[in-house]
Amino acid sequence: MDVKPGVSRHLLAAFCALVLCAGCARQDGSGPAGTPGIVLTYWPAPNPQEILLADTLVALWNRLHPGIRVDMQPIPVSISTEEVLLAAIAGKTTPDVCSNIWPGALHDYTQAGGLVRLDDFPDFDSLMSLRTPRELLDRFRVGDGHFYEVPWKSNPVMMFCNMRLLREAGVDRVPATYGEYLAAGEKVAAHRYAGAAEAVWMGDRDVRPIWWQRLFDFYPFYIAASGGRTLFTAGSPSFGDSAAAEVFAFFRECYGRKYFPRTFFQGGDPFLLGKKATHFSGPWEVASIRKFAPQMEFAVGPVPVPDDHRGPVYTYGDYKNISIFSTTKHPKEAWEFVKFLVTAEHDLLLLGICDQIPVRGDLLENPLFAPYFRGNPAMAEFARQAVYTRGMDDAPDLKEIFDGIAQEYEACAVYGRVTPARAIGDAMGRTALIVEWNR
Amino acid sequence: MTRLGDIVRGVRGSDRGAYWFILPYVIFFCAFVAYPLLFSLVLVFNRWNIVTPMEWIGLKNFDRLIGDALFYRSLLNTLTFLVIHIPLQVVVALALALLLNTGVRGRGLFRALYFLPVVVSGVAVTILWQQMYSFDEGILNSILHATGLPSVPWLVDPRVAMSSIAIMATWKNVGIYIVLFLVGLQNIPRELYEAASLDGARPFTQFRYVTLPMLNPTIVVIVVLSTIGGFSLFIEPYVLTGGGPMQSTLSGMLYIYNQAFSFGHMGYAATLGFVYALVILGVVVLQRRVIESEIPT
Repeated sequence: MDVKPGVSRHLLAAFCALVLCAGCARQDGSGPAGTPGIVLTYWPAPNPQEILLADTLVALWNRLHPGIRVDMQPIPVSISTEEVLLAAIAGKTTPDVCSNIWPGALHDYTQAGGLVRLDDFPDFDSLMSLRTPRELLDRFRVGDGHFYEVPWKSNPVMMFCNMRLLREAGVDRVPATYGEYLAAGEKVAAHRYAGAAEAVWMGDRDVRPIWWQRLFDFYPFYIAASGGRTLFTAGSPSFGDSAAAEVFAFFRECYGRKYFPRTFFQGGDPFLLGKKATHFSGPWEVASIRKFAPQMEFAVGPVPVPDDHRGPVYTYGDYKNISIFSTTKHPKEAWEFVKFLVTAEHDLLLLGICDQIPVRGDLLENPLFAPYFRGNPAMAEFARQAVYTRGMDDAPDLKEIFDGIAQEYEACAVYGRVTPARAIGDAMGRTALIVEWNR
Repeated sequence: MTRLGDIVRGVRGSDRGAYWFILPYVIFFCAFVAYPLLFSLVLVFNRWNIVTPMEWIGLKNFDRLIGDALFYRSLLNTLTFLVIHIPLQVVVALALALLLNTGVRGRGLFRALYFLPVVVSGVAVTILWQQMYSFDEGILNSILHATGLPSVPWLVDPRVAMSSIAIMATWKNVGIYIVLFLVGLQNIPRELYEAASLDGARPFTQFRYVTLPMLNPTIVVIVVLSTIGGFSLFIEPYVLTGGGPMQSTLSGMLYIYNQAFSFGHMGYAATLGFVYALVILGVVVLQRRVIESEIPT
């Protein structure tokens, strides 16, 4: 086909204009009748359950609010959400709303001026007082005395037990203290060496010194053993106490007596595969068991505590919260969307679709949730535990501090090279250096 | 001033069209080499976590580095890796190249097979070796177990882990060095072997006094490349061990990565990077001197 040069130039120019127009189109979108509208972007966590929940809620919102359209896009997959969000803050490409804010990273976000102060909205207090107990809510207040996140969901770290494996070894109840746990471990190990059909361990933890792995062993155990303390008190590191040493000593016994393997398993979750009797995890594990090991007879209990422990057993809450980024052009509308995400009905959807615990004070009293918990008794255990949880301190350099703890945990607990007291002392020393270096 | 004037006059007098051909590389160089290098030099004197404004801190990053035990540990680990990896790499690559340089049948296939790991993704290779090194279920320990030998804690014993990583890295990279040795071997004149043979030199003597000296430039290149590659050891410990056990595989690059991207200390990471660059320069210069003086040419 012959095309005259002049015609092809015109075609090319028209194509370029079309592309440019498409590229420059404003993201404000339009309402259903073509009227200008507001568009909000919403980033949920990139796991299938939360994407399904977000899809459901966003579709519902868009139906009810034709003038404020919400576009949902899962957080871009990376090593961690925090790295993605920090990069987005740096590049000013943050969404309007994100529902996967880890409180441990909040310090960085607020220092960067990346978040909207939520208690500036006049109905913040009234909304929060209906949903979250005051004592718990206050733990999310940052150093400047304000709130930048709505506590949304909590995943208390608890102990799962494979009751069949424990019973076969001669243990008939969930161990509650270090002494009971180690006694159960002895029976499981004896059963293993007596020629059980398959090698079963009392438990295991990833032995690699990766900082966030300590959020599922040292940290919840420390919170439990210390009666609910976290790493910092009044802005200073304060975990160099006997509770931390007891936790290290406990794990040291687990590895030293060969109740835990000094390796990491390949090819699947060893708890789901029936290779270990106990597992420290959050409520999402319930859905995994239901899906991948439906025959497993399991029980859930608090993480073990020292034998002389008194009072409630606290644990790490692994909170993920909702924030509005300061790049938003529509903070009021974004706040309306945040309020929509945390209604009781939508918290029920969070439970039903994601098997994660909303940060509500009325979970076990509100009749709305009763049918769910009747059908999911294991989740009721997590709801009961959720009241006794702690999150992260509002402190900088938490990841580096946990990295220091991970190094000492490995040296003391996994390999038994240093005593618990020295390991905790070294971790405190490293923390002091980190705080000093980064001051 | 005169020199600058000469350059300007030279540019004006030359064929300007040629500059368009080098322009893409100049842009690439400025954007991806010169600018990052200058920027990281600025970072050395600043504290910066990407999201907050930079804060000038003078030489504090160097002050921190001097007192940082993990820096020394990562440097020692990297040197340990080099001490294991480079001789292993050179010996294995040379041995295989000598074999492939003979008239062995199917050598084209062998060359392709040895080169295959070089072009496979580093992460994929590392995950494959993670399975093989598994203490309970890995194929290596299964073979040892089947032959009555005890299992080896490949990745979970501080005394063994770095050697395991060195073996894996050698397997991954040996193909490229085989090719370099083959080129070197094929450039050795046949007459030298004939003369040595007439003088009564046996094969080992020929290897020692003909092959090795003639391969000296190739060995220097391979040792230098292995050293620079070894200093960038990252994927293997990052995926396999996370720097453990007991920090025994915490390489310099992994430590820099952790400081920069896990902890957000861009300035300190840049400082570590510059110090490592100086260390690499020093080690490479030293290696060249030693190798050139050790092997008579």
